Amino acid sequence: MAIDCLVLGAGQEVGKSCMVVSINGKRIMFDCGMHMGYTDSRRYPDFSLISKTGDFDNALTCVIVTHFHLDHIGALPYFTEVCGYKGPIYMTYPTKALAPLMLEDYRKNMDRRGEDEQFTSDHIAECMKKVIPVNLKQTVQVDKDLQIRAYYAGHVIGAAMFYAKVGDAAMVYTGDYNMTPDRHLGAAQIDRLQLDLLITESTYATTIRDSRYGREREFLKAVHNCVAAGGKVLIPTFALGRAQELCILLEDYWERMNLKVPIYFSAGLTIQANMYYKMLINWTSQKIKETYATHNAFDFKNVRNFDRSLINAPGPCVLFATPGMIVGGFSLEVFMQWAPSENNLVTLPGYCVAGTIGHKLMSGKPTKIDLDKDTQINVRCQIHQLSFSPHTDAKGIMDLVKFLSPKHAILVHGEKPKMATLKERIQSELGIQCYCPANNETVTIPSTHYVKADASGTFIRSCLNPNFKFSTCSSTDKSYLDSNKSKAVSRLSVSDDRATEGILVVEKGKKAKVIHQDEFLHMLGEKKHEIQFAYCFPMHMARTEDLSSTSHMLCSFDKCTLISRLSMILSDELSEGNILDLGEELQVESFRVSVCSSDNCPHRLSSSLQNGSESVFFCCHWSVADEKLAWKIISIMKNSTL
Amino acid sequence: MGMVAELERRQSAMELHIINSIQQSLDNNQPLSFQALASLRSLIINPATPDSTLSSVLDALSRSLQLNRDPVFLHHALKLLSDLASHRPHLSPFALDLLRSDSLFSSASPRLVGESLSVLLSLASIGNDIDAARFVSLCLGPSVSVRQCLLRNAEKLVFRESVLLAVFLGFTRDPYPYVRKEALDGLVKLCKNGDFDDRDVIEGCYCRAVELLRDAENYVRSAAVRAVCEWGRLLVICSEDMNKQDSSDAVFIQLGCMVRDMSVDVRLEAFEALGKIGLVSEDILLQTLSKKVLGINKDKAFKPVEGLDISASAVAGAYIHGLEDEFSEVRMSACYSLRTLTVFSLRFACEALNLMMDMLNDDSTVVRLQALDTIHHMATSNHLKVEKIHIHRFLSALVDSSSVIRSMTRKILKLAKLPQFKLFKLCIDGLLGNLEIYPQDEADVFSALFHIGRNHGKFTVHIIEEVSPEMEPASGGKLSFDSTRVAAFLVLAISAPLSHEKDVSAIPPRIFSYAVTWLGRISYGLSDLMNQEKLLAYLSECSRSSTISLADFKINEALLTVESDAPIPLCSKVDSPVSMPFWKDSGGTSDYHHQEFLSLGKSAAHAEYELGEHSELRKYVNLIFKKVKDFWSLVELGCTTEAFKGIRACKEEVASFTADSPGSSGAVAFTLQYLQVIGMLAKVWGHLRPTKMLNPYGVGKLELLFAKLDRRLREISNRFIGLSKGEELQILDLVLVACLLRLSKMEICCCNAAMKLLLSTVAHVEYLHKEGSIELSNFVTEVKKSLHDADSSSSSSTCKPLLFKKLLDSFSLQQFVLYGTPRYIHAELAVPSNDSENPLPFIPGIPASIPLAITLHNVLTESRLWVRISMNEESTQFVFLDLNLIRNEKRSINVVREFTFVAPFYRTPKAISFTVRASLGLECFRENIDRVKVFGGPKCELTYLCPEKEIFLCKSTEC
Repeated sequence: MAIDCLVLGAGQEVGKSCMVVSINGKRIMFDCGMHMGYTDSRRYPDFSLISKTGDFDNALTCVIVTHFHLDHIGALPYFTEVCGYKGPIYMTYPTKALAPLMLEDYRKNMDRRGEDEQFTSDHIAECMKKVIPVNLKQTVQVDKDLQIRAYYAGHVIGAAMFYAKVGDAAMVYTGDYNMTPDRHLGAAQIDRLQLDLLITESTYATTIRDSRYGREREFLKAVHNCVAAGGKVLIPTFALGRAQELCILLEDYWERMNLKVPIYFSAGLTIQANMYYKMLINWTSQKIKETYATHNAFDFKNVRNFDRSLINAPGPCVLFATPGMIVGGFSLEVFMQWAPSENNLVTLPGYCVAGTIGHKLMSGKPTKIDLDKDTQINVRCQIHQLSFSPHTDAKGIMDLVKFLSPKHAILVHGEKPKMATLKERIQSELGIQCYCPANNETVTIPSTHYVKADASGTFIRSCLNPNFKFSTCSSTDKSYLDSNKSKAVSRLSVSDDRATEGILVVEKGKKAKVIHQDEFLHMLGEKKHEIQFAYCFPMHMARTEDLSSTSHMLCSFDKCTLISRLSMILSDELSEGNILDLGEELQVESFRVSVCSSDNCPHRLSSSLQNGSESVFFCCHWSVADEKLAWKIISIMKNSTL
Repeated sequence: MGMVAELERRQSAMELHIINSIQQSLDNNQPLSFQALASLRSLIINPATPDSTLSSVLDALSRSLQLNRDPVFLHHALKLLSDLASHRPHLSPFALDLLRSDSLFSSASPRLVGESLSVLLSLASIGNDIDAARFVSLCLGPSVSVRQCLLRNAEKLVFRESVLLAVFLGFTRDPYPYVRKEALDGLVKLCKNGDFDDRDVIEGCYCRAVELLRDAENYVRSAAVRAVCEWGRLLVICSEDMNKQDSSDAVFIQLGCMVRDMSVDVRLEAFEALGKIGLVSEDILLQTLSKKVLGINKDKAFKPVEGLDISASAVAGAYIHGLEDEFSEVRMSACYSLRTLTVFSLRFACEALNLMMDMLNDDSTVVRLQALDTIHHMATSNHLKVEKIHIHRFLSALVDSSSVIRSMTRKILKLAKLPQFKLFKLCIDGLLGNLEIYPQDEADVFSALFHIGRNHGKFTVHIIEEVSPEMEPASGGKLSFDSTRVAAFLVLAISAPLSHEKDVSAIPPRIFSYAVTWLGRISYGLSDLMNQEKLLAYLSECSRSSTISLADFKINEALLTVESDAPIPLCSKVDSPVSMPFWKDSGGTSDYHHQEFLSLGKSAAHAEYELGEHSELRKYVNLIFKKVKDFWSLVELGCTTEAFKGIRACKEEVASFTADSPGSSGAVAFTLQYLQVIGMLAKVWGHLRPTKMLNPYGVGKLELLFAKLDRRLREISNRFIGLSKGEELQILDLVLVACLLRLSKMEICCCNAAMKLLLSTVAHVEYLHKEGSIELSNFVTEVKKSLHDADSSSSSSTCKPLLFKKLLDSFSLQQFVLYGTPRYIHAELAVPSNDSENPLPFIPGIPASIPLAITLHNVLTESRLWVRISMNEESTQFVFLDLNLIRNEKRSINVVREFTFVAPFYRTPKAISFTVRASLGLECFRENIDRVKVFGGPKCELTYLCPEKEIFLCKSTEC
């Protein structure tokens, strides 16, 4: 069995995330995004690669959307309404609630720019009707074999990572996620799962970000200094996400510092979005959830609505205005009024698309900006660039991959050279096979397949009882080799053998079965064979008075003395094994040695070497397992004198 | 009335009926029906049922148990018995007997055994019901719940450590996660209580715990973190000295890997554990504050145990992650564990300070408070370096809306030593801002201003010069003193003459008279330093002359506790580490102090005079005691040398502290003595405790150490009066430890004496405990308990080194807190005009008289003093000094006595000249001497009050 991953978008690039994964006969499309940088056919994923005939309903089991950003959901109305996919679509509740807002906003902007319309408002509404909302950690049985489950991903409200399992093969698609919490969202959270495949974003494949406190501090300091000096602060943002985060930050600071300067929200999407946030408390960070009972963090105390008459009102203020990057709309209107004063401050988001005013402000510090042929804006205000990002950094990706330890990993949603670096790190540091395929490529990885087997009663009973063994595993510490005295390092370790006592039996035409090892012989109708070695050899003896008897027949007393002497020699020379003195016999593991009194011992190799009373024959027996030990003992015995 | 009687009659009739029917069925050898059992239950739980009925119920139950072996029946019978035992305590022995009987406890069904076990455990009466073999076989049985229950309660069943170790270690392999968790918890407990010195065992347990750090279940992982921490610490202890640092680093890194776990509990455990690993090298510590792998740690790998290689990069950014965790508990825990680690490295403390300053922006008040507490901790351990980039963030905490945060911030400011005027100005502005927004903080702001002004005399003068126009009365001759701001500057100004810096007397005298108009409010703010009268005296003194020579001004003397060139004179500014509202803390203690002085018979004025200084001094020494406690934890870790260094530094610090005024010498002497005791104890501890070091000293040396320790202990417990019961108890703790240490070492132990001392000390502890109703420490309770046990079990067993060793494990040094002012008993002994040139005359064979000029300090009249005169080891004689007979002109004062005493020396040798050594000893009543003394000397051991004085004698030429 194998898992095939067809990358339709976000392969070695950021934009139009879309991935089709075939897993044990099921085909899941993860995300259905659009590329914001293109207006031609490259805007959408190439859906024809899924099905030549356009029969998407049979080609796909389901579509899963991780969050409401357009590069993850933008192509969905097109795919369902224009391309005609009618199967199930899964997303979390907040995503379902907020996605129409985003799509509608985008559609309007397209309209405004006079581009040809890809989908209509009706399309969006129709598309949303097909969506099945899911909750966090809720296991959804898509069909008989396919299970999916959403995990919290941070990033934006409602963002989720999705776990999918078909039979024994399991995988996780992360979508975008954040491993560190911010002021309004928590960090990604997932269980330790057994995975064959992890598909993770890699926006910051090589960046390691420092603590967010530093970023917050810089932002607060800039804003505070500006309002303290009587200036006005313009914060152009997207409606969802960053606006709420910054607002919570400011609200908290205002509260603590007892500031009375007004904070305004420009009318429109932001207010509506705040309403949604208030309802989606369950998806926010721990702190907001905890304090929700006493105070809803999205009930901003200091925030008021803004209207145009306030633009030129005297006194300091802070204004959140859409859209971000100052591409037009209200934020541009305010910017034009406020930019000429050096008291004022404009904060810019971390990333601005080229061509926007935001981008111009970021690249160098222009004193004049030409809006169009006739309009020129004098820019004398202060500029503060935010470096907040809802994506995890390289360390976060590594931490997640390490925590989940999947068998394979695929990187998407990142820049090619950086992804290559991260891929190397994952392979070398974590030993996990990693891929970063380009768009329209397919990666095939093997998947786990378990064989179902019956178990015998004896085996089950033996499994119920613990059966642990202690052993001292010895290894030789190499660092001591130089000093010529090798020191054995032994450590106590414990193992539980109950599963290893089972034997898997597959009989022809029958189901596989696990039986206990004791049953095995019985089942085969065979007897147990054991291989035993035997060896009889003489050992030198020192001439002593009490043993220089003329008789070859040693009495049992003498045998005992000999054995105990031997035991002493062995315990001096032998480092391992437990030497047991059993009277007339000596035992080390399975190795047994006794004095041989028969002259015609069958295990004796040469009977010619006879030195009379100076040597005594010893007969040894051992089983295969202890062969090494046996020869070691024998060589010790041969080299020493009793 | 009739109705009640009727009811009772009916009830007893019903009881009778039930019992009879049960008896009947039993007589017919029929097992009890479930219905019958149910009616029995109703009898048992009914409180009105008479005991006679219940005993017949018990009887019926025991008979039916013999009849019926059905597990379901047994289960119900068990439930009945446990109900009976819990409802009727006086019948519980019988019920328990029945429980223990064959049918239940040794039943073949593990479930029943488990249930009966848990019943026995819940009734806390498990004694010798279960032996090790049975325990193991039950554990190895197939029932998981029994296994879990047994493992959880294993230590209540008290087996040999080896059995427990094997069982716990084995069950870390169990497939059931809850069993694994219990096993790990068991290993942790075992590690804390046990005494392991087999490195193989320690490594084995450590490795197994490390393996389980990757378990699939959260709770197993958090138990594994605890286990790694505890066994890791043991691993460090048993490492050779060369590898100690490395293995400690490795354990730290191993734990550091867990801070990125997805489970909150695991992260919490991980940070808690990180704070417990004391000895971590600076590179590793710095790495925890940087997510990028530092160059120095790039290729650093550790191998604490074969096969457990771990790279230093694994710990990268551990604290960064912890401090920006989503859960405030984790952030707090991270702040807290940082606090313990900053002690070890200044560089680390500086870096950590950066983070702590950021934490002041946290949205949770408790986290902000914890961050401030950590900063405060850094300040008290001299590891606080405030820089310009910090100061803005830090001062913003002064206008925080939470009053606790503001108060904590001011507390830190009081300690700060600022290098630049600019920073100083910022701080003053910050405090003024605080005052403006929160007028309710006035008292504490004043106090902070005063402290800060004293710490920065020159800056203060400078700033007062700048603002002096503001402070002048307005042109109309009307004073504009209604402004709080002016008051704040006045407070700052009047602190300048008390500055620790020299030549700062440029504050115009009129300022001080202005301040008088604010006397009430200012003195309220400065109530921790001086009272109103004293402040007034000070202000009027200062305002009188323009060139004040404060050198001879008493208050200055009293406040100026340390020479001006001392580094950061913590003593004058530190208050109790307990975070409680400042004014409450200081106000409360001064009152107490006040009373104490009165009771000593001094004039009230005198007491007030010393007031300020003493509370300061006490704060200072209490800080020292706090440090000592930290050092002791090092000793327990086996880092005796490090601890020793610390203690020595403390000693120097205390010794440099000149105690001029009469009351302070006691506290200083006490502190020094305490440090010496702890030092000796640490030395002995280091040799006896399982630190894996080969004892470099032989038994003889150890015996010497013990003798020294005993002497120090005797001194600390006998030479100070005026200690409270709580203080005395803490000292007795140390005496107990010394006894136990002696008893735990067979070779040097003279069992009887040590045992006697132990017993008498325990008795004294009990006495004090009863008298003062003071909580006993855990350690003392343990000691008492085991002594009691040992007593009851066998009378002859007095020497059980293992038992004593075990007891020592429960010892942890408590922070000594000095509340009062102990008075130091000491004496001066002199022989006027006697030296080798001018010897005293003697005639051989005839007693010689030695005139001794004796000065006694704080010696009570009822104490028994002896003059010990010795020529050599053999000829030592004691002369009793009866204080009642001594005429003293200044009798009224109990504190100092001076007199001359002529001591006879009887055994003058036949020699031309010789020397004797004399000293003065105080008899300690608690310690009897075994030896028989010649010349009827003291019955008890002596504590010497002065160094030995050498006296020269020469054969008289006159005769």
